[in-house]
Amino acid sequence: MKLRNGWLHLVKTALEDFKRNKVRTLLTSLGIMIGVLSVVLLIALGLGLKNYIKGQFESLGANLIIIFPGNISGSEDGGGVANFGSGFAGGAKFDEKDYLNLTRISEADYVAPMYMKSSIVESTTDKKIGSIMGTNEDAFKLMNIEIEEGSVFDKNDVQSRNKNGVLGNNIAEQLFGSPSDAVGNIVRVDDLRIRIIGVAKKKGDREMDNALIIPYRTTFASLNPDKTFFAIYLGTTNEDNVPVVKEKAKDILLKRYKKDEFSVTEQTEILSTVNQIFTIVNAILVAIGSISLIVGGIGIMNIMYATVTERTKEVGIRRAVGATEIDILRQFLTESLLLSLFGGILGLIIASLIVLGIRAFFPASLNLLAVVISFVVSSAIGIFFGVFPARRAAKLPPIEAIRYE
Amino acid sequence: MIKLENVSKSYYLGDEEVKAVDNINLTIKEKEFIGILGSSGSGKSTLMHLIGLLEQPTSGRILLEGKDVSQLKDIELSKVRNRKVGFVFQSFNLINRFTVLENVLLPTKYSKEPLPFDPVTRAEELLRRFGISERKSFFPNKISGGQQQRVAIARALVMHPKMILADEPTGNLDSKTGDEIINILKGLNKEFGVTVVIVTHEHDVAAKTYRQIYIKDGQTVDKYL
Ligand SMILES: Nc1ncnc2c1ncn2[C@@H]1O[C@H](COP(=O)(O)OP(=O)(O)OP(=O)(O)O)[C@@H](O)[C@H]1O
Ligand SMILES: [Mg+2]
Repeated sequence: MKLRNGWLHLVKTALEDFKRNKVRTLLTSLGIMIGVLSVVLLIALGLGLKNYIKGQFESLGANLIIIFPGNISGSEDGGGVANFGSGFAGGAKFDEKDYLNLTRISEADYVAPMYMKSSIVESTTDKKIGSIMGTNEDAFKLMNIEIEEGSVFDKNDVQSRNKNGVLGNNIAEQLFGSPSDAVGNIVRVDDLRIRIIGVAKKKGDREMDNALIIPYRTTFASLNPDKTFFAIYLGTTNEDNVPVVKEKAKDILLKRYKKDEFSVTEQTEILSTVNQIFTIVNAILVAIGSISLIVGGIGIMNIMYATVTERTKEVGIRRAVGATEIDILRQFLTESLLLSLFGGILGLIIASLIVLGIRAFFPASLNLLAVVISFVVSSAIGIFFGVFPARRAAKLPPIEAIRYE
Repeated sequence: MIKLENVSKSYYLGDEEVKAVDNINLTIKEKEFIGILGSSGSGKSTLMHLIGLLEQPTSGRILLEGKDVSQLKDIELSKVRNRKVGFVFQSFNLINRFTVLENVLLPTKYSKEPLPFDPVTRAEELLRRFGISERKSFFPNKISGGQQQRVAIARALVMHPKMILADEPTGNLDSKTGDEIINILKGLNKEFGVTVVIVTHEHDVAAKTYRQIYIKDGQTVDKYL
């Protein structure tokens, strides 16, 4: 047991002191604990959500270009922030002519119009809300929809307005018990009787798994009397063609619409918009966590001032036997650092437990960044808020300190 | 080794000046064995703190080996206190949250250079010599005043200092144990050439030293009255 002037002695002394003042130690580190807990948790939730949404977008087919009505990105007019609401309300109403014009782009390997509506889907025994999608045969390629049972509809089904449809996996199970039982059966939507010719594989996406995909021309009857589309999807197998397709699509649409009545967006642009939103949300959440960290730091500072006062005599004694001002500073800094680190580690542990607990129903994920942040931040707070009390202790005149009772 | 030139130390209580040490000239040479004698409140403890570089004088100079100590930096002053001086305070000044052994070891934690001895062996040897080795794991507030006094002396000796400043080292001991302590200090002086300064108000304690300094109202006087 050769403890000389090293850190080991300081750490050991501090730990012994914590042991003596268990309740106080716990209460003091509580502020940091809550701060680290919230920051880590927010990072975990924010990151998880972001990854989840990214995953959702990436499950769409590659090199996807989506044409929406209205001005989504706003980038061309310098608006900056996405404005979905007014865009959707006030933009162009695409019709079959637009779709057909766009199919003339030779670099676009797939073009699919997209009509969407939530509606009740009934089997003979059950009913459920599903998302009705009116589109064409290209949509299955564009959105990476794979078939589990049966088959998809083809060009002929679209042309002849056949009442054939493909069901999402969930809704098929709920209405018919299993995907294989669904195939060949009839569902009713509005006054349409759709024959199920295929069931899609599970995508893990609520909307797709509850979809009823039918030929767009079939919707032109009662579902979609305006014969308009919510969006038009274009896809290329060659990534290099994306800019050409976008340009050509714009040129075609500009013949009928004004510049701000439609938006030609890439999947990656939407992703970056989503990213931006989450970065902002994350920043706000981290700011909230930071406030509790600062409050926690002030709590540590408060306790350390009390500790310095309590140990004034001890400081005097240590100075008399040869402790330098720096030695005293170090002693109290070690203590506030450990106190804060203790809170940080506690917060990290609790955050990990919470993340594990909610994993089942929320895509939260802890990463190295969160761990590093909790250590760095709590050390920094311990040192920053510990310096002032420690300096006071270091500057105490030895004899005055020794006389203090 | 230490020289005080016209040294004064004043405290201010409001506007009133209390001259605890008043214009003292004093030289302590190496290997001396000195008694500082004076009545209560005469300024003995204050003088001892000045000699031990724990306080800076209000006026005058203190020279340590020829160097004005007011020029020394904190690190240098601390090193002197750590390696060269051993304090035995009037009120022991042990740290109650540390055990007896840890208290004795405290100065060894602040040595900036490796020690030429094993601290624990040294501390235990001192405790054994003072007959309190079976109390080494006790906390200071759980042992008697006399035992605390001996712990304080052990702490002052642990670093093999060149000079020991002992403020009423026998104040809490019966005359037999008190004599033992004085003899130990005398032995250190004789065998190892340690400079010893004993502060006391008892004539017979002072009589055991080789040179006596009499203090009254903060000033040295020729004879204790
Ligand atoms: N911090 C202080 N503030 C004000 N006055 C002080 C202070 N320290 C000492 N004094 C005064 O200085 C004078 C000398 O004090 P000191 O402690 O040196 O006396 P002493 O000789 O050691 O007495 P004793 O034998 O009772 O220990 C006393 O009058 C005391 O009141
Ligand atoms: Mg005194």
